[in-house]
Amino acid sequence: MITCLGDMFFPEVGVAMVRLLRRLGVDVEFPPGQTCCGLPLSNSGYHADARAVAERTVRLFAGAEHVVVPSGSCAWMVKAEYPGLLADDPALHAEARALAARTYELSQFLVEVLKVSGVGSTFSGTLTYHDSCHLLRGLGESRSPRTLLRSLEHGELVELPGSDECCGFGGSFSVRLPEVSTAILDKKLVSVEATGADCLVACDAGCLMQMGGGLFRRGSRVRALHLAQVLAPEGLP
Amino acid sequence: MTTRAAFLDDIRREMAKTRGLFEASTSPRPAAPQEAAEAVRREMLERWPQALERFREEFERVAGVFHRAPSLEAVPALIGEIARERQAKRILSWSPEALGVDLGARLGGEGFVVTSAPDADPPESERARHREEAAAAEIGVTGADWALGETGTLILVSGRGRPRSTSLLPATHVAVFGAPQLLESLEQVGLMLEALHADPSATMSGAVINFITGPSRTADIELTLTRGVHGPKDVHAVFVEGR
Amino acid sequence: MSETSPGAPFAARARGALKDAYLQEALGIATTKFIGLRRESFEDFPQGDALRDRARAIKEATLQQLDRHLERLADNIERLGGRVHWAATGEEARDIILRLCRDKGVRMAVKSKSMATEEIELNEALEHAGVKPVETDLGEYIIQLAHEKPSHIIAPAIHKTKGQVADLFSQELGGHFEADPEVLTKVARVELRQKFLEADMGITGANFAVAETGTVVLVTNEGNGRMVTSLPRIHVAVMGMEKVIPSMTDLMVFLAILARSATGQKLSSYTTLVRGPRQPGEMEGPEEFHLILMDNGRTRQIAGTLREALYCLRCGACLNVCPVYRQIGGHAYGHTYPGPIGILLTAMLKGAPSVKELAHASSLCGACKDVCPVRIDIPRMLVELRERLDTEKIAPWTERLLFGMARRIMMRPSWFRRGASVARLAQKPFVRHGRLRALPLFFGKWTATRDLPAVAEKTFSERWRELRRP
Repeated sequence: MITCLGDMFFPEVGVAMVRLLRRLGVDVEFPPGQTCCGLPLSNSGYHADARAVAERTVRLFAGAEHVVVPSGSCAWMVKAEYPGLLADDPALHAEARALAARTYELSQFLVEVLKVSGVGSTFSGTLTYHDSCHLLRGLGESRSPRTLLRSLEHGELVELPGSDECCGFGGSFSVRLPEVSTAILDKKLVSVEATGADCLVACDAGCLMQMGGGLFRRGSRVRALHLAQVLAPEGLP
Repeated sequence: MTTRAAFLDDIRREMAKTRGLFEASTSPRPAAPQEAAEAVRREMLERWPQALERFREEFERVAGVFHRAPSLEAVPALIGEIARERQAKRILSWSPEALGVDLGARLGGEGFVVTSAPDADPPESERARHREEAAAAEIGVTGADWALGETGTLILVSGRGRPRSTSLLPATHVAVFGAPQLLESLEQVGLMLEALHADPSATMSGAVINFITGPSRTADIELTLTRGVHGPKDVHAVFVEGR
Repeated sequence: MSETSPGAPFAARARGALKDAYLQEALGIATTKFIGLRRESFEDFPQGDALRDRARAIKEATLQQLDRHLERLADNIERLGGRVHWAATGEEARDIILRLCRDKGVRMAVKSKSMATEEIELNEALEHAGVKPVETDLGEYIIQLAHEKPSHIIAPAIHKTKGQVADLFSQELGGHFEADPEVLTKVARVELRQKFLEADMGITGANFAVAETGTVVLVTNEGNGRMVTSLPRIHVAVMGMEKVIPSMTDLMVFLAILARSATGQKLSSYTTLVRGPRQPGEMEGPEEFHLILMDNGRTRQIAGTLREALYCLRCGACLNVCPVYRQIGGHAYGHTYPGPIGILLTAMLKGAPSVKELAHASSLCGACKDVCPVRIDIPRMLVELRERLDTEKIAPWTERLLFGMARRIMMRPSWFRRGASVARLAQKPFVRHGRLRALPLFFGKWTATRDLPAVAEKTFSERWRELRRP
């Protein structure tokens, strides 16, 4: 599942992910007609609309053996929210639960399904990792990304103080209350820069848009990259 | 004005609309609280040394000052020392019966002004006078019904001969206790309180139970910790051996 | 209208708070400290998680038999010589207290910290009726002198510098006081000691009320709670009815986690268990004890979407971790209760429309739910509030239109693809090095402070053809 932000703004992340998975022997398919998982609708309270999108998505991925998502929030939406959204229709509900069970955020898929703790990649420089809220709290995942990052040859992982603190994106929150969102972001970026890392890594397109957008605006030398780009550097722009 | 019946009817009406969010139950309570309390006391006959050590650790962690006295008879001298250290003269005390020792008799002659609470039901005039004394006292001496190791807490039940202000108004509070008062866990405290309330007329003559964990404190100004806001600035615990 | 005035819209008040440099620093230091204290306290406490689960279960179970527990509580209090009053609204609660003051000739009342009395704006009503209310919690005393409202549930004056407090005391009390917390605390101790001794009435809230024994429980650090319930001749406790808990055994579960969650202490300096007026033979204590059980919008939530919010212990942990609260502080929320739980409590007390902006004052990060001692799912209820605002058409029609469009695009891949092409064209004049730095209109809300990636030359879907063959 490429996700709407991934499709439009970060196709190179999707490319990196595909190359990475293939390198690990996974047969990758891309069901056409993907749009969005519906999280923005659901978070703003438009549940009926989110339900319609959920139904569409469940049908779209009906044939997939595993669904891998380069975004913690979208994976969370499918795994945690879809079954509830479709609870009114027993058949759809069952399909949603089945889909939830076979949907994974990328780092989860690598570590828990493929059972790899390293992918044999090289990366020069120091990296620091930001725990996206939905991946950390929604899916309970903070170890897999770090396991993978630590496995990098020549890469050094430095812990980010307050890595579990929100980056301020929050979807529409970022434009409903842009000054507050930015204040939260600035605080985060001060921590990031204080680590001295060359690269900030995250597993969520929204966070990367927010933090990357802030880093560029500050003229920072820190690059914001998706985990997939770090693990499959040929995906770097 | 809303009546009790109307208020509760409103609640019942709403309650009837829902089964709640999930199946839940409250804490299981001791079927025979007095026996449960007795069992705790028996257990603590063995375990009080560990509880004491823990109490000391936790009490000092919250800035309490810990003392040991070889016997009750030695306590007045210790109180005298504490008072002299603070250049304090006015001592407020629980009644001799409640405290187990008569501070007035022992320290009155040494230049201290000791006010002990009366044991009998006080008349109004005496109440007012006691209040003035309490407000002027510099050291307050009490016993303790329990001393909790888990948190370094002194638990005091108010009542006849045990005014609330003794541990509250003076700037220094001294609590005297022995091995029988020691408990290890909040859970045990819960059991003791269940037992106490199961037959309160037999054991409680006051309306207030205070858990005291260190001196009065606040961090309301710039999160800077200061002690002795309204209550005592320092708290002492005297463990009396051989009780 | 200034950005920080209460009538200004929330977004404006939030902006005002962001510009207040001292507030920013104070909030940062205070919330970071509280977070650290809480974390250390729970790290050291392996039973903590299980106790939180139990606490949550006790709260839910209590609600399932709420009427029984309230009856038992009331019967016990009356048996011990206290009086119970039943207030359906905040106004009624105020009236009960005012009537008591009139009947008993009360001229001055000392107050221990109580959010319930803030909620019903008791102080203004007392003053209006010629009764002088004196806040005795140091933080509350400070803001009372400053004619402000509390900005945090447990540290009400966190937004004030020691310099500001020194100036305030000097001005209001006459004198010249150093900007030293020790000195200022001593000033307050002396000032308020007199008030405790002279007051006719003591007014408190209640952290818990134990039904089985008729006990009202106050958790404090300063000792004012003890003063207020022992020295004046009348004690009035105001309590939301959801604070009742069944037994002493249950109480221990809450005591084990409450102070840890609020300040990282194992227990607060004083936990005071009050059973009615003074007993015969007691030297001190009030002659009269009154408990006012208050509904004020709570009952309606027993079967409502905000039921879980009734579990709240008012510990303030969610405020300390909330990325929004940490940036804007309590006053910007504009209601009695700030922070994540504050949004829900405001909706409970004043109705969903009152939080039409506040319901979105959250990135839904979930940190609040993580630290809540009773595991209240605040994000879920915020989203449910948002849904109500949409379905009841309280959200602006422009927003609903936009989201309607978004849905249509998500349902139609051809529209999605076309949308990407249109965006690629429209962005052309603004693209610099693959990024967008300054966009007009709505999009400016992002680009004012952050770069935006440009829509890719080729979306992933468009690149799939070449990726297909491995």
